[in-house]
Amino acid sequence: MNKLEFLTRLRNSLEKGGLSKEDINDALTYYEEVFLDAGFGKEEETAASMGLPEDVAVNILRESGIHINPAPVMPPQNADGQNFNNNTAANPVKKTSGGTWALRIIIGVLTFPIWLPVLIVICSLLFALIVVICSLVFAAAVTAVSLIAGGLVTIFESPFLALMFIGLGLIVTGIVIIICKPAFNAFIPACGRAIKRFWNWIMRLFKKGDKENV
Amino acid sequence: MGFSINAGLLDAMVLSIVQNNDTYGYEITQYLRKAVDISESTLYPVLRRLQKNELLETYDKEFMGRNRRYYRITSQGNNSLEEYREEWRSHKKKIDSILLNEGAENNEQT
Repeated sequence: MNKLEFLTRLRNSLEKGGLSKEDINDALTYYEEVFLDAGFGKEEETAASMGLPEDVAVNILRESGIHINPAPVMPPQNADGQNFNNNTAANPVKKTSGGTWALRIIIGVLTFPIWLPVLIVICSLLFALIVVICSLVFAAAVTAVSLIAGGLVTIFESPFLALMFIGLGLIVTGIVIIICKPAFNAFIPACGRAIKRFWNWIMRLFKKGDKENV
Repeated sequence: MGFSINAGLLDAMVLSIVQNNDTYGYEITQYLRKAVDISESTLYPVLRRLQKNELLETYDKEFMGRNRRYYRITSQGNNSLEEYREEWRSHKKKIDSILLNEGAENNEQT
């Protein structure tokens, strides 16, 4: 195994073990230096003297409090000991994961002055965006209707102007329909389904009531 | 070569080597090899632990166009090493009293 292969396999194992980026880089710097200090022509020999990179990784991870493979760390002496070891090995893992969850929740609660305003800002921006889009569509629809209406009213006084108004109104109507169609396509069936589900739910309530009465 | 070496003893030996003069990982291993059979992969976790406990600190020094990480002992490290040495003296005395029959009159009395 050459230096590159050793270091690559070591990095992979450390990453798989969930070591922090900083610690991984520290370890790799160290081992790269070992290869360089051992001498250019001794890569294979150096790698062999250090053993498998995966085993090296297990040692580093253990020193950082990460136990991937607890079996070789404390080999069970007999059947009873094995049970005992398994229990003690399993419990701390649970505890630490519970601890980190609690820690995360505490951090989440403590930092609420930061994320709460951010959340509110994001929600208000989204709301504003939806309102703007809706009002633009609404304005376009109103314009279309008033153009057509205006055209119809003035059709006998100045027919050409009226035709232009009606035409513009139809164009805007078309644009509004094109924009709204996908939205309506999604929205109307959803409403239908919701109504149907609601209806079914009410019917079921009645049926249940009947059964209970019987 | 049956005697296994424990983590505390290894820590103490590394501290002692670095106390003599600032040095780098590969050289520390070479020193240790005079006494115990260890590899670079045994040493790294030890150095990392000593560094995290602030008994050692590191600095980079240029060597042949690259940076080499040197280790330096801290005042905390010096204190710790002194404790280790004291402990080792008493430990060694106890072991010797049994293994080499030193202070044998004590053993015979009991």
